[in-house]
This record gives sequence, structure tokens and C-alpha cells, in this order.
Amino acid sequence: MASLMGKARDKMISTYKNEKVQVSDIMICAMARLIRNGENVFHGVSSHMPMVAVMLAKALHAPDAVYLNIPGGVNPKPRNLEKYTSAGSELYEQAVAAFPLAEVFDLSMRGRLDVAFLSGIQFDKTGNVNASVIGDYHKPKVRMPGGAGSAVLIPTAKRAIIWRTKHDKRTFVEKVDFVTTRGNIDRIITPLCIFKYEQGELILDTIHPTSSLQEVIDNTGFEVKYHSIEYTPLPTNEERMMLQRIDPKNYRNIEF
Amino acid sequence: MSLTQAVELIQDYDTVGIGGNVLHRAPMALVREIARQNKKGLHIVKTAGAMDVDLLCLAECVSSVDAGFISYETEYSLATHYRKAVQNGVVKGNEHACYTVISALRAATAGIPFMPVKGLQISDLIEVNDYFTRIQDPFSGEMVTVVKAIEPDVVILHVQEADKNGNARILGPKYDDVLLSRAGKKVILTAETIVPESKFSFSLDKADIPFFLVNAVVHLPKGASPCSCATKYSIDRKNLDSFKAIKDKEELKSYLDNFKTIDYPRY
Repeated sequence: MASLMGKARDKMISTYKNEKVQVSDIMICAMARLIRNGENVFHGVSSHMPMVAVMLAKALHAPDAVYLNIPGGVNPKPRNLEKYTSAGSELYEQAVAAFPLAEVFDLSMRGRLDVAFLSGIQFDKTGNVNASVIGDYHKPKVRMPGGAGSAVLIPTAKRAIIWRTKHDKRTFVEKVDFVTTRGNIDRIITPLCIFKYEQGELILDTIHPTSSLQEVIDNTGFEVKYHSIEYTPLPTNEERMMLQRIDPKNYRNIEF
Repeated sequence: MSLTQAVELIQDYDTVGIGGNVLHRAPMALVREIARQNKKGLHIVKTAGAMDVDLLCLAECVSSVDAGFISYETEYSLATHYRKAVQNGVVKGNEHACYTVISALRAATAGIPFMPVKGLQISDLIEVNDYFTRIQDPFSGEMVTVVKAIEPDVVILHVQEADKNGNARILGPKYDDVLLSRAGKKVILTAETIVPESKFSFSLDKADIPFFLVNAVVHLPKGASPCSCATKYSIDRKNLDSFKAIKDKEELKSYLDNFKTIDYPRY
């Protein structure tokens, strides 16, 4: 565990063509670009990266995206973000309407939630997600926090965008220990690459310029399939400036 | 009513619904008093819990937890005591999607035995848990997942404003508190401020929770601390750090003792 943590920390800042790039920013910009203008978008607890991604998308290419969250503030404009939470009352500040969590779920069940940002601890090549336990469910070796909304949102949101800040052979596995859910996965975004879900399996979509195909292969527990080698675009200057404005204290990097 | 008297309404082995969400507006003074009174075998219900559930697990008050998520979010990280209790088989971790907790409470609210839940279709959670099953929709003939109703014996909430009769208003995010108040058999409230009844009767902004559902109201400023309470205070980082450093029940006792001036105020 300790070595994995150390490795994750090394990943925090990578150098690409003599320029320092924060890997979390590559991931956040990739998430933001997947949000289309006018879409209904939700993120939950422990979700600083999606929180900043939604704000970034709304500030740039998707001003009419509808931002939904756990406190229930529709399109909030928080003065400050909080380091300890992505579910606090700051996401109610300057919101135009109240639309509580229960109703966000209802909306998704009716097929009207376009994008849900979710995570998990294990993913397999066929798109199963485990957010529950390692080992036996009733007497688990490791009891994880639980999938929160995942088990009902991944199957019902039009696109579930998954992020995970760990990319290793214990996270991307041949077969998950426990199927918490499966469903409408669009992309899985990691510190190394982006997978997309296509015809029932995970396919390598793009590799971050700070990583390499070999690194992805070495850290993935199933055979890495791809159509062609593509690279994730780095954050643009405009995106970087906006990230700095939205989150000047860099709370978005909290998972690294 | 005093905090002590309010918590005496809770019996061992009760199902207890807890308000708030993660580190926000959790009724921590009530939670601490439950630990002090050494309640046993409680069945905890919450969409997303954190310190409240963790503290009750450390105090050995809990037999099961029905929740979608138990963690302090990223910065304060995992709920160590909950996790250990589940891994050691002391506490049964009944994993839900947050929405299935909501659906189970909605069923209780409507007095029906179960609620169909769309979304939970392919999941090992259905197989391993006895509160989910798949049945045939009698109208379309299609299979649908249902979740068993959860009717809390007691719901504990912390609110910003209440009058002496228990009419209560929540400022800012309400999370699932209003639903919980409708689903429970009894409701116990702590309130930052006791307001005159006229505050609600003379205004068009009515209370979120009406008095006739409420069995006890305790005036308790800082009743959610060290969790946050919108418009009043943010988290108490120093206190959270001190709790996260606690290893055993002995240390918990002195932690709880340090709260006596907050939990038993003299007016």
C-alpha cells in the first residue's frame, strides 16, 4: 500500500516537454470536455475533481449545463470551495433553485440525467464496477465506503463518467471481487489514460502525454486493447487560467 | 427537554435514522449522548454517514448500518471504526445505493412494505442482501427490483431553528432530513435556536418539520459540532483531528467528557 501511495504522489506533477503538468489537471480537463452544453450533470461526495470539472465546463464551453449536487443547489456559484467536502452548503450558495439529492436520483431513473460522475475501487475489462468490498461480502477483508449512488446511477444516467486516481493491477483487474454495478459507462479516467466502454469492453481511448502505452500495459491487469494510439490533449492556457480562478488553493489535487 | 431525557426515548435495538450528510449537520450531540448512555444493538440508517456512524461503532452501540456510503470524504478519509467493526463481523454493513435508502424510507412514509427501485438491475448487492429482491411487475410482466421498507423507530436530527413545540426549520441544504422526519415513528430534534412559534405562524416560510411528528426538542447550540451547520459554523478541524486520533473506547470516554459544557449547557 505504502509503495502505491508513494507512486501516486510522484505522479502529482509530471514534466512534459519541459513544462510541469499536474496530472489531476489533465484528468479534470478531460472530464470537463466530456460535458456538453445543456446537459444535466451530477457529482456526489468525495468528488473534488468532478466538482471542479463541472465548474470548468460551465465557465468555458458548456455555460448552459445544469449543475446538480448532493446539497441540492442548482447551478451554485460558490465563493470558496472547501477542502474537506464536495457536498457542503457552499454548493447551495447563489444556486437558482433547490433540487435535493432524492430528486436527482428520480431524474436519473426517468432517463433525464445526462452525466453522472462516479468512482469505484475495482474495474474489470467487461465494465463491472466494485465499490463495496474486497473479499467475502459478509465478512470482508476490506469494507470500502460503499458505492453511494453508483449502483443506481451507473445503469440509469445516460453517461456515467468514472474517475479513479489509482491505476494499478489491483484496480484494473480481469474480474472484480464483487459487482456493485455495471451499466452506461462512457469513460474511465485514470492518472495514466482514459478507457472508453465499447461493445461490452474497456478499450484504451487516449494515453496522457505524461504516461506511455507501456506504463498503461504494465499497470493494467487485463489485456489493453486499442484501435490506435491517441494522446489526451493537455490543458490549454485558457483551461489552466480558469482552473486557477475556480480553485486557487488546488483542492482538486487532494486525491494525489 | 434535556439531551439526557431526549436520548432516553431511544431503546436498545431500535432502528435509528440519522439526519445530515457526511460531515454536515449530523446531530452529533445526540450521537454523543447515545454513546454516553451506552445504547446497544442499534440499527443505523443513513444515506451517507461519516463521524456519526464511526463514533457509534467505536462506542459499540451498533449492530447494523444501512447506508449508501460511510466515509469522511477525501480529506478526513475512511471511517476506521465502522470499517473495523464490519470487517470483524461485529457490525453488519448493509450496503445500499443512497437511493435505495431513500426508497426504503419513502415506503415507510407511505405505509407500504416495499418499494420498486429502478436502476438497481445488475448487482451482486441484490443477491447477498435480504432487503433487496426481484419480483415481477404485475402489470407489464417485467422483472423489477424492490427494496424492503425501513421504518426507523427513532429519527435524530439537528436543525437551525425550532420552536418549543418542535416545529423545525432547516436552513440551507436539507439533505434527507425531511423525508426521515416523515418516515420515523419518533423524531428527536436538537436546535441551534429556539424561536417563538410566531416565527412560523406569522410568516409564509413555514417550518419544514411540523410539531406533531416531533417527540422531543432540545435547545442545543453547536449540536452538530464538530460537523458543520450551514449559516452557523463550519467543521471544527481541531476536534475532528482529535477524534480521528482515538484508538479505543477508553479514549472515546475522555473525548465525550470534553463535550459536557457544549452538550449540557446551563441557560
